[in-house]
Amino acid sequence: MQFSKSWLQEFFDSSLDAIDLAQTLTIAGIEVEDIQDLSGLSDQIVVGEIVAMEKHPDADRLNVCQVDVGANDLLQIVCGAPNARIGIKIPCAMVGAKLPGFDIKKAKLRGVESFGMLCSAKELGLSQEADGLYELSSSLVLGQTIIDALALNDSIYHLSITPNRADCLSIKGIAREVAALSDLTLKNKDTVQNLQYKKNNTQKVVIEDPVLCARYVGMLIQGVDNKKKLPEFITHYLERGGVSSINPIVDITNYVLLETGQPLHAFDHDKIDGNIRVRKALNGEALLTINQLEIVFDGGELIIADNSGPLALAGIMGGHLSSTQEGSTNIFLESAYFDPAAISGRARSFGLNTDSSHRFERGVDFGYTRNAAEYAAALIMQYCGGTIDGSADITGNLPERPAIILRVKKVTDVMGVRISDIEIKAILKKLRFEFTYDESIFSVIPPTYRFDMSIEEDLVEEIIRLYGYDNIPALAPSTEAKILPVDSQKKDVKTIKNALANLGYNEVISYSFIGKEVEIGLHGNSTPIALKNPIASHLDVMRSHLWGSHLEVLVYNLNRNQKNVKIFEVASVYAKHKGGYTEAKVLSGLVYGDHLPEQWSEKIREINYYDIKGDIETISSNTLSFRKPATDLPAAFHPGKVAEVMLSNTRIGWVGQLHPSWQQKYELPRKAYLFEIDIEKVGEVKGLSYTIPSKFIPIRRDISLVMNKDVVVGEAIESVYAKQIPGLIELQAFDIYEGEGIEKGKKSIAFLILIQDTYKTLEDSDIANVVDQVIKVMESNYEAKLR
Amino acid sequence: MEHLKKLIDEAKKDFNSCGSMTELDNAKSKYIGKTGPLTEAMKGLSSLPKGEKPKAGAFINEIKKSIEGLLSARKEMIQNEELLNQLNDESIDVTLPGVKRNQGSLHPITHTMNRIEMFFHSIGFTLADGPEIEDDYHNFTALNIPEYHPARAMHDTFYIDDEHVLRTHTSPVQVRYMKNNKPPLKIISPGRVYRVDSDATHSPMFHQVEGLWIDEKVSFANLKGVVQDFLQQFFEDETLSIRFRPSFFPFTEPSAEIDMSWNGGWLEIGGCGMVHPEVLRQVGIDTNEYQGFAFGLGVERLAMLKFQLNDLRPFFTNDLRFLQQFRA
Repeated sequence: MQFSKSWLQEFFDSSLDAIDLAQTLTIAGIEVEDIQDLSGLSDQIVVGEIVAMEKHPDADRLNVCQVDVGANDLLQIVCGAPNARIGIKIPCAMVGAKLPGFDIKKAKLRGVESFGMLCSAKELGLSQEADGLYELSSSLVLGQTIIDALALNDSIYHLSITPNRADCLSIKGIAREVAALSDLTLKNKDTVQNLQYKKNNTQKVVIEDPVLCARYVGMLIQGVDNKKKLPEFITHYLERGGVSSINPIVDITNYVLLETGQPLHAFDHDKIDGNIRVRKALNGEALLTINQLEIVFDGGELIIADNSGPLALAGIMGGHLSSTQEGSTNIFLESAYFDPAAISGRARSFGLNTDSSHRFERGVDFGYTRNAAEYAAALIMQYCGGTIDGSADITGNLPERPAIILRVKKVTDVMGVRISDIEIKAILKKLRFEFTYDESIFSVIPPTYRFDMSIEEDLVEEIIRLYGYDNIPALAPSTEAKILPVDSQKKDVKTIKNALANLGYNEVISYSFIGKEVEIGLHGNSTPIALKNPIASHLDVMRSHLWGSHLEVLVYNLNRNQKNVKIFEVASVYAKHKGGYTEAKVLSGLVYGDHLPEQWSEKIREINYYDIKGDIETISSNTLSFRKPATDLPAAFHPGKVAEVMLSNTRIGWVGQLHPSWQQKYELPRKAYLFEIDIEKVGEVKGLSYTIPSKFIPIRRDISLVMNKDVVVGEAIESVYAKQIPGLIELQAFDIYEGEGIEKGKKSIAFLILIQDTYKTLEDSDIANVVDQVIKVMESNYEAKLR
Repeated sequence: MEHLKKLIDEAKKDFNSCGSMTELDNAKSKYIGKTGPLTEAMKGLSSLPKGEKPKAGAFINEIKKSIEGLLSARKEMIQNEELLNQLNDESIDVTLPGVKRNQGSLHPITHTMNRIEMFFHSIGFTLADGPEIEDDYHNFTALNIPEYHPARAMHDTFYIDDEHVLRTHTSPVQVRYMKNNKPPLKIISPGRVYRVDSDATHSPMFHQVEGLWIDEKVSFANLKGVVQDFLQQFFEDETLSIRFRPSFFPFTEPSAEIDMSWNGGWLEIGGCGMVHPEVLRQVGIDTNEYQGFAFGLGVERLAMLKFQLNDLRPFFTNDLRFLQQFRA
């Protein structure tokens, strides 16, 4: 909302300059977004009149104007505005004037001298848009500074009003807040005494829904002249309130709306056919709105209708055909109270968000309905003439304002510091709340314009707000000292993240949404969770893996000349589940490039599967196993270079190389590796037991076995462990060789065997026995031969 | 016998001229070797009268000891020198780069959240988490934002279907936690939240940390105390001014925007308030017995201020050159 400070000033006798207005509004809870000072324009910009004009001899679009600025001599000014013509008054910036952004100097335009510039509203900084010169009222005095002529000793306040404060959506509402938070006294400006009118009841009104339309005041004003010109202050205030001038009657209704917060509508009475009915629309009924939009009702919308059909969408927008035009002479003025429930959601569903609907859906002062009509009628008669034929005034089921109990103790409890009964009394008075008081308990009736007061806490908030947040001390809470539990069964995510960072991984944070094609293709999810309103088509579904996002990060960094990329992220992945959705937190990562950065001291090689496998083993407290997957292999992986990450017998994730076809699709020159693990599981520290090392030193024996190339070494080792050979404490492959000296289709694997007994030093024969047993298992299970 | 005395001086001169162990070994044999003059003199003792033998023997031994002393002194000196030379030869260029690992890092948002969590953990807050695909009830209705309430328009919501949204704040976590736990309650809920908005200062996904404290006597003054204390510790500035500005959120009453002084003005940094009784009633907490506060802070905003960054977007473009500055 925006308004002119001068308009607000009219509600006070004493000057607003006595207070810091912005600060006062801020502590009232009204956010001041911007203050636009209009008074900065140069006094070398004056009212001028074009008294003669001829075409520029050398430029088609330019005119040479003779401008009267009230001085002895006319000024010759070259002007290119399309609306330049003899007889109009315009702002004239004379030589020496400073405009926002530039200074006016004597100039030659295509050989013709020019002594100033004729200005548009935009050039003066008075509006965002302008087509052509700002045409001023013909009544202005030539040579008067534009500041005086347009009453620009003013500023425009731009405010943000929270949805609970419907009562602040008007100059009057703002003035009430200013008065409550300062010593300034509010003036009564917007009620009219002794309005003269006839008691005819020519236009009848029927209310069919007294709940949704709880008050309806209609006034028939006959014989108005809607071609009159309103005093400048009204159009200035409207402009500064962000509303453009249309015709006098409409301008007056808008003026009353902005000043008092009561939306009004002026029908052209000659276009109304019979009685007015405030009723629910029927399905299929239609209305052409003022802004020429054809809307068709579903049925159930509250409308204003006559015998021929809908005239207006109640509280939202009037109809084009019955609207007040310049030539209208008989006006039916409507001031009503519509229940927020009648408006809520309707305006948005028709794509119509109007000043009127904005206020009705938040709540309009139902104690002021008639006063608003009278105030507007008085202004219409004052400026456009006419007489009031009579009025309809129907009251339905107005909202109730039951008394609310307010305990002083409650205020003190919530605030945390003691407040006295007297202080609360003073605040309630400032707020113009009616109340009775008995032994530290108030019974409060809030005013008709407050729609945010229904329970005790609402009042407590008001007391604290007026007491001043700044006046409440910041106190450390007193609380019992209780030690928080620390779970020893779980490594927290922080520890895991730190471990990865120490292994050279960079943590990234990517969007939880991804493109549908990536989700279906790369992530292999045929039923993606789609967003109804994505911000972009490449971010239109929720991801089930993080890989697609990470490949984008990879490409982004490769394009910036990064050679090695090691990234990880901990985030949720999403899945559909029984009509709802499930989420799981995963640790996901991508590795690309060399195992170390290029440098003088180390031989560099390309990263491989085993680097990442080693990293994963390092960060896990448990012993993980890596299994060649049997089924449901994710589409992202190279089928021969991927493993299921197993904890006990449960799969907790995947690690492997990106499928070469995806590598090609993403135009990656080298291989990329991906992993994704359940972060909960990788951090689990379960079933670990700890022992003191034996005093005997383990004995190491190495053997080389030749086996078929397709033997999976991990499984072979597991099969030896499964025999539980006494004395065997570790079996490890430490070299693998294929080639010269080894039969084709075979490979030679060097194993180290660690042997130890808990109770005695081993004899050579015991050691030989263990080695033999290991070889036997390998022989019988894998046809291994000692090399 | 006296001529033997001169051997000491000769040996001294000889040994000192030796520059290596080999030379010294050669020189040594000249004096105390099997054929050296001292051995010869010892042999000659037998020809001496019996009474002079002990004295002469002792004299020769004396000289031998002196020469051996000279020898070992020189030996040590040469060994030291050789060691020095060896060390000198072995010296390396310590200014060459160390073995470069890939530089790992934690995301600045993680750094920021970790600090926030530590501060609140230190006064007894525990972590709570909840779903990001949230139902309409927990994201809005339970927080006193009914359908068609104008406050819903304040949230530019991503919709999944008629009943599900991407959570617009982490407040639904509080609702879920309050439903499942009995007061006193003291939690913070950090996490991702979503709004349909994307420009230099808005990201469609960003992070919030919300705090909730429900107890018998937790007041607005305590809210001010905790938030102010936190911000002053977070920015490591005990003189940092904090302003609480009246505002409106459907789920708190009274509500306040939290501003902090920054570059001569005020900067909005979060929202807070006393939990609205309607919210407490929705989760079955007796408002006659309990009250409390909630606050919400934008993590990106805090991180930008702390790390003195003037753009939000680098948090989500994941440029390694940016990220690697934030080491673990």
